[in-house]
Amino acid sequence: MVDEKELREAVEKTVKRDDVKYVVGYEKGTYGFQVTPCFAYKSEDADKFIFSPLCVHNLAVFPMLEEKPPLRRGEEPDKRKVGVVVKGCDSRAIVQIIQEKGLDREKVVILGIPCTGVVDPKKLEAKFPGKTKNAEIKDDNDKFAITIDGKTSKIAKDELMPDKCKTCEYPTPVLYDILIGKEIKGSKKENYKEIESFEKKSLKDKWQYWEKQFEKCIRCYACRNSCPLCYCKECMVDQLDPQWVRRSVDVSENTAWNLLRAFHLAGRCIGCGQCERVCPMDIPLMKLNKKIEKEIKEMFKYTAGVNAEEKPLLAMFKPDDPEDFIL
Amino acid sequence: MKEKFEPNIIGFLCNWCSYAGADLAGTSRIQYPPNLKVIRVMCSGRVNPIFVINALQQGADGVLIGGCHPGDCHYERGNYLARRRMAVLKKLLEHTGIDPNRVRMTWVSAAEGHKFAEVVKEVTEDIRKLGPMQNFKRENKW
Amino acid sequence: MDKMILSKNDLSKLIEELLKKNKVYGPVKSDDTVLFEEIKKPTELYLDYLNSEVPPKALMLHQTETLFKFIPGPKGKIEPVDMDEKKVIFGIRPCDAKSFAILDHVFEGDFDDPYFITKRKNTILIGLSCSTPGTNCFCTSFDDSPAASKYVDILLTDIGNNYYVEVISDLGKQVTKAAGKLFKSATESDTKKKKDAEKKAIDMISRTQKTDKIVEKLDKIFENRFWKDVAFKCLGCGTCTYLCPTCHCFDIQDESTLTKGARIRVWDNCMNPEYTIHASGYNPRPARANRVRNRIYHKYNYYPKNFDVIACVGCGRCIDLCPVNIDIIDVVTKAGEVKP
Repeated sequence: MVDEKELREAVEKTVKRDDVKYVVGYEKGTYGFQVTPCFAYKSEDADKFIFSPLCVHNLAVFPMLEEKPPLRRGEEPDKRKVGVVVKGCDSRAIVQIIQEKGLDREKVVILGIPCTGVVDPKKLEAKFPGKTKNAEIKDDNDKFAITIDGKTSKIAKDELMPDKCKTCEYPTPVLYDILIGKEIKGSKKENYKEIESFEKKSLKDKWQYWEKQFEKCIRCYACRNSCPLCYCKECMVDQLDPQWVRRSVDVSENTAWNLLRAFHLAGRCIGCGQCERVCPMDIPLMKLNKKIEKEIKEMFKYTAGVNAEEKPLLAMFKPDDPEDFIL
Repeated sequence: MKEKFEPNIIGFLCNWCSYAGADLAGTSRIQYPPNLKVIRVMCSGRVNPIFVINALQQGADGVLIGGCHPGDCHYERGNYLARRRMAVLKKLLEHTGIDPNRVRMTWVSAAEGHKFAEVVKEVTEDIRKLGPMQNFKRENKW
Repeated sequence: MDKMILSKNDLSKLIEELLKKNKVYGPVKSDDTVLFEEIKKPTELYLDYLNSEVPPKALMLHQTETLFKFIPGPKGKIEPVDMDEKKVIFGIRPCDAKSFAILDHVFEGDFDDPYFITKRKNTILIGLSCSTPGTNCFCTSFDDSPAASKYVDILLTDIGNNYYVEVISDLGKQVTKAAGKLFKSATESDTKKKKDAEKKAIDMISRTQKTDKIVEKLDKIFENRFWKDVAFKCLGCGTCTYLCPTCHCFDIQDESTLTKGARIRVWDNCMNPEYTIHASGYNPRPARANRVRNRIYHKYNYYPKNFDVIACVGCGRCIDLCPVNIDIIDVVTKAGEVKP
């Protein structure tokens, strides 16, 4: 369990630095179990910060969302650093972006939190529907202690954890400037069971499944905007000349969008599951991303977001890459 | 008699090797199926998966990407990068239920006119057996 | 206003009567999502729902709508589209029905949009009152109620074994006349049951948004730092705009092959940075904070100034689905309290 006092002290220390613009972390939301990102610009703001199993969001998206508004004459751009609070999985996103040279290591101050698992908001809503008053969840070894209106109940972690936490190999952040708490050794192993059972289906069944899913897509691009690794200044779907993916919403264009986004995340997706969580139509996007993750591990022995010095997957090659499909 | 299905195959051929090989097949008067519609790119590494998926959307039944042999790329390493990319793309297409044998890749050098014709014959027959591509074709019905 | 009751057992007969001459759209459940889709049999309806994921505005203002088809070239021609389809939207909630009344101002104002107006004329709205409002419902903040009947043609309220039927418009009268034998006159106890159900639903709504004098208050704080604080965490994803029953921005594109094409209208999203980008490359709303501020002002300041109604119905979809918990109830209430 993370000591919130230690977290707030670390945030205050970081915000006081002259070279840090702001620190982004989690604070209590406006209703029920909600937790929302919050920004600390001065030391007093550090008191808002919390960390609980409800902190599911991947905050690594914020250093890349920095906008560069037009400057007044003679005004210098603000080149100070950004501090960000990350769990184990989130830190891999930052490492992957540094690997691709999307961000300089010096531009970001990482406050790492070793994480023992979070709660899936959809599973929580199904178990405790319709809460408007603020509710709390605390970590309790292998259970979650949920307090609503003063009453506490304990639920086994496996019931409420998202799938990504059940096979988490990196509970401690891979890269950090300040670690809040003690390192946790990764004891779980990724197993791809669901993907393997899906692979056994026939091509026709697979297409039938995906066609139904892609029909639901409303092209809101919530998946793209909440993904820390989707940071292109101009996304391929917004291009009008040439226009690769039409603006109309039908199975053909939706398939193209989802397949192309999954491809662009090949070797870059770190499996935080944020895309699947924010999709308003509940499309199982992680099924696509996990399949690619499995294949690149087998074919190229590469895992995303682990080593900032490594070269990105599709930007390098080995002479003995698999080429059994080439005539 | 039922008309034979004539597949529409788009070929992205790299300028220095495969396109020249195709050119050689033509000047040597080697016969091969006319189903391949060629788009010349400077290097097989130029081929973005967007091109492949867009081709399949617009009605192509198959896509062929032709590059230089490993080690012979005019730009040093474009073909190596394309090789990795296409390997990942084929796995993704298979996972979604689209037959990965619709997207083929080949190494054809500028001297291999006969090989080019053989490749086109083989790919045309394979895709003819697979049938028309229906999965996510643009309907254009509005 | 006629008051009648309809037994729940007779509901499928009513739907079958409607299916004879109209296309019927109602809430359908697939996996865990409820959407308004066309039904061919009454059994496909799923009425045990809070609200659909995508609002029924998608049936009036299609996400992808063909305006006309064309064949390019010197012998080209333009083919208009067929808009005569008669439809019934069954089970629409009062808040979503109000959104159509709000959208009417835009599409039937200075210029008449034939696509929206024709669809509106050809659609019968059969509303279903909410019996258990959701966590983030706040229709009462706009002096509406979960059983408001102003905006539908017929309103059904669940009162136990029957539905309490209120017929509001002439279109509604046509429906009840055609299916006359299914409806019985309502007694006083039925009317009381309906009033009790409405009160129970209103009491369940726990969140309120303070909107008194919001137009004047917002006028004074346009340049205030408040907007940066509130909107900095916005991801610009567009979920709120696409799922909002009153958001109506659209883009027009031409799609074509070499031999034929069509001009289509698609939903657009003001959270996208490219939404207001000029041809010169200049973007008047470069920051996400600007775009969030614009959206709130559009709903709570510009729209009331033009049309005397706040362009929000209190359905709560944006609050349920915002990935970073930007809560419009909270934002507008706090905006009203900011000292200029």
